[in-house]
Amino acid sequence: MKIKLTSVFVDDLDKALRFYTEVLGFAKKADFSNGPYRWLTVASPEDLNGTELQLALNDNPAAKTYQQAVFQQGQPAANFFTDDLKADYERMKAHGADFTMPPTDVKYANIAKLNDTCGNLIQITQLARY
Amino acid sequence: MTDRERYTPGPARDAHIRQEGEKWTLILVRELRHSPEKVWQALIDPAHLREWAPFEADGSLGTVGATVKLTNVSAPKLHISEATVKRADPPKELEYNWGDHNMRWQLEPFDSGTRLTLWTNIGRRFISMGAAGWHICFDVLDHLLGGTPLGRMVGPDAIKFGGWQRLNAEYAKQFDTKT
Repeated sequence: MKIKLTSVFVDDLDKALRFYTEVLGFAKKADFSNGPYRWLTVASPEDLNGTELQLALNDNPAAKTYQQAVFQQGQPAANFFTDDLKADYERMKAHGADFTMPPTDVKYANIAKLNDTCGNLIQITQLARY
Repeated sequence: MTDRERYTPGPARDAHIRQEGEKWTLILVRELRHSPEKVWQALIDPAHLREWAPFEADGSLGTVGATVKLTNVSAPKLHISEATVKRADPPKELEYNWGDHNMRWQLEPFDSGTRLTLWTNIGRRFISMGAAGWHICFDVLDHLLGGTPLGRMVGPDAIKFGGWQRLNAEYAKQFDTKT
C-alpha cells in the first residue's frame, strides 16, 4: 500500500492549475473531464510518478465551509517540503506569490506560508539538519 | 480474442460544435440498429446505463421532475452530481441536467433503427475528448442492445485504449481545437 494521492480544495480549477504550476512549480499530471466533472492533478517535477495532488473543486457546501475554517485559523491546507526554502521563496516571490509568513526559523525547521489565491494557505517547509 | 479486444472504433464523424458566448455545445449524432423503444430504455434505465454510459444513476431518468444521483465512474475518486429530469417524452425526447451540464437527447425512427442525437455543453478544451468518449460509448451501446456486449469503456479505461487517442486527434482536427 502506498500514499499516491492527496487533494486540496480550490475555488477555481483553471486558476489553481496556473498557480500550482507557474508559481509553485509543479507539473500538470492528469487533466480530463467527464460531463461536469474534471479530474486534475499535479505532481512534483522532481518525482513525476510520485504522489499526486488533486486540485479538487470546492463545489459543495461542506468543502467550502471546511476550507474557509481552516484558512481562517491560519492552518495550511497542504505542506510541501524543499531542500532550499530561501531559493524557492525568492523564485515564488518573483512569480507574484503572496507570502503571509516569510521564511521563519521554528527551531526544527524553516517554514514559510503563502496564499494560493484559491482559498488556501500553503506551507513550504525545509527541515533543519542535525 | 474477445469482442472487446477485437473492437476498433470507426473514424470520427457526425459530431458538431456550437458556440454561444463562453458556452460550447457538443452535438453528436449516431444511427443505431435498434428501435427507439429499446434505445429509450438504455437511456433511462440504471441497469442499462451501467453497461455503457460514463455515469451510473440511482434511479430512472424517465420521469419528469425526478431527481436522480449520477455517479461519475471515470476518475480515481467517485463524484456524485444531482440530475433533475426536465423532459421525458418516450421514445422521442429526454432532457436532464448532469451537475451543471445539460443533456438533451432526441430519438428519431430511422430505417429499422434509431437516429440518436445528443446535445451537451462542454468546456472548450475537452470537446475532442468528449466527442471521442461518447463515440466509444455509442459503439458500446449499439453492441449492448445487439446482444453482444463489449463492456463499458469510460474514463481511464477508454483513454488507455489506442482507438480513443486516434479519435481524440481526429475530432480535434475536425473542430480545430488542440488536444
